Amino acid sequence: MKLVALSWSHRSSASVAREALAAVPVERVLAELRARGIKEAIAVSTCNRFEVYAAGRPGDAPSPEALIDALSELAGAGIAGEVDAREGLDAARHLFAVASGLDSLVVGETEILGQVKTAYETAKSAGMTGKRLNVLFQRALYVGKKTRTETGIAAGSASVPSVAVQLAETIFGRLEGRSALILGAGAMAELAAKHLAARGIGKLSVANRTWERGYALAARFGADAVRWEAFPEALALADVVIASTGAPSAVLTRALVEEASRRRGGRSLFLIDIAMPRDVEESVHKLDGVFLYRLEDLESIVAKNLASRAEAMAAARAIVEAKADEFDAWARSLSTGRELSFRHSGRSAR
Amino acid sequence: MTAQSVLIWAAFSLYTAATFAAFGYLFTKDPRASRAMLTMLGLGLVLHLAGFAAHVAAFWAYPENRFFLPLTSFFGALSYMALALASAFFVIEGRARLGILGAFVLPWAAGALGLAVIFASPETAPLSEPLRSYWLNFHPMLLMTAYAAFANAAGVAIAMLIQERQIKSRKPTELCYRLPSLDELDALNGRIIAWAYPLLLVGLAMGFVWSYDDWGRLWTNDTKIRLALVTAAVYGVFIWRRYVVGRRGRRNVYVSLLGFASVLLTFFGAELFGGRHSFMGGLR
Repeated sequence: MKLVALSWSHRSSASVAREALAAVPVERVLAELRARGIKEAIAVSTCNRFEVYAAGRPGDAPSPEALIDALSELAGAGIAGEVDAREGLDAARHLFAVASGLDSLVVGETEILGQVKTAYETAKSAGMTGKRLNVLFQRALYVGKKTRTETGIAAGSASVPSVAVQLAETIFGRLEGRSALILGAGAMAELAAKHLAARGIGKLSVANRTWERGYALAARFGADAVRWEAFPEALALADVVIASTGAPSAVLTRALVEEASRRRGGRSLFLIDIAMPRDVEESVHKLDGVFLYRLEDLESIVAKNLASRAEAMAAARAIVEAKADEFDAWARSLSTGRELSFRHSGRSAR
Repeated sequence: MTAQSVLIWAAFSLYTAATFAAFGYLFTKDPRASRAMLTMLGLGLVLHLAGFAAHVAAFWAYPENRFFLPLTSFFGALSYMALALASAFFVIEGRARLGILGAFVLPWAAGALGLAVIFASPETAPLSEPLRSYWLNFHPMLLMTAYAAFANAAGVAIAMLIQERQIKSRKPTELCYRLPSLDELDALNGRIIAWAYPLLLVGLAMGFVWSYDDWGRLWTNDTKIRLALVTAAVYGVFIWRRYVVGRRGRRNVYVSLLGFASVLLTFFGAELFGGRHSFMGGLR
């Protein structure tokens, strides 16, 4: 069997080529390749990469040049110079590394696994997969899961908003039925609102010094807009507060938080200060049941998580290598007439 | 070795192994450790139950002891409490997927049964005349059930204090993400105490009724009784603050731990002062 992989990724190529390729619908790519006589091909298209995998018997296998030709016709000639072409074992190893998130900007991120799966399903329903690519992609999905569960490459949250949400969950458990108050209506406030809404926060309120902007942000997320003068009241009802105003001095003073905490009967209050200069007085962190995290606290947790993910990369690569070798042995066995079989839990093909 | 001591020793070994597995689960979050913990605990419970039944049979070999629970000896009381605690953990935390708390709860069960098998004498003797009352099946049983629940709550409280420290540090470790959330721990601590407190009060009240029945007056000049009243008062303060005033968080958890310290003092400390409440057939 012959396997070819072409890759334009954030590592190897400028965004111009990737954007040109990403603009072409995957279905069209597959249709074009089929029209050129290629029987097995899968295209993976995400914001950070565009990849095509093609396979065939040794005799009628596609060549990298033929594939680049077809893609150049769809996306323009500028793409050819920036491609990474891989064949055989290298191609399989690359796909397994991609599925494991080893080739991603944020190591171990899980989105890519879903994108590989979608790419496979799209090609499969277009009738563009055969035995070779079916096995290759099913193995890739398996390896992607295995590396994440058996090594630490996907451990810990890797972005500031997701760390904030995770911390909120260590305080409150599930966020359904909890309420959040957002102070400010800037880009950071919006990002925070988006994450909290995605995690199913029960109630979201927005207070902003300029009423119209606060109201507009609240409207986008189905949240309540609160008058700036009334936010001390809202503080007593909120479990999570995200402060990101442009105020020159702290808006959440110790006196305000103490009063809110008293009215809450000591129920936990999680304050996240992502404003610069600070919105929350540091001394509130000393209050019982009040937890203040500042942007740099969240960033250092992210850095720690990313560092421990990086430490796990060698172990994940070892799994990728072993599984790619196993796949390669299987692919070679196809032409001998004595096909090997995989064992999902076992170490090697027999 | 009698069949009873073989069974109790086996149960103690399994509880101890389950405790180690619980710590393994806490520090690795390996689901195999959790399964091992629950399996060994379940097996331990079965053997313990059989051992307890054998103890009851030996106790009932004296016709005058018949149909009273053997809770008047150190051995019987500790064994009963360990049984109550281990089964409470098995039912409550096991079912609510809070098995991660095993490391905080099971040491009490293993410890209590360990004290029973190593230090307490399993010998049985006929009950003295005044103890042969149907109250004997309720008064100590209710109190010891409450004590086992309080031990469980104390384990949860310690987990909560650790979690609180983790979050306050701003540098949470893996442990922080493994433990249940602060609010869940706080709620669980409160719920267990709120459930056990009525048992404590009814158990104490029955003791007073019993003494009144026998002597026509309330019996209050006894160290154990006074300490038990202190325990009831401390947990009363906790319940009042938690459910009437609505206070939550760290300080209230300190109150609940103070309550458990008082339980330990009531159960063990009173032995030092002697009196009618001391356990018969105490230490080996």
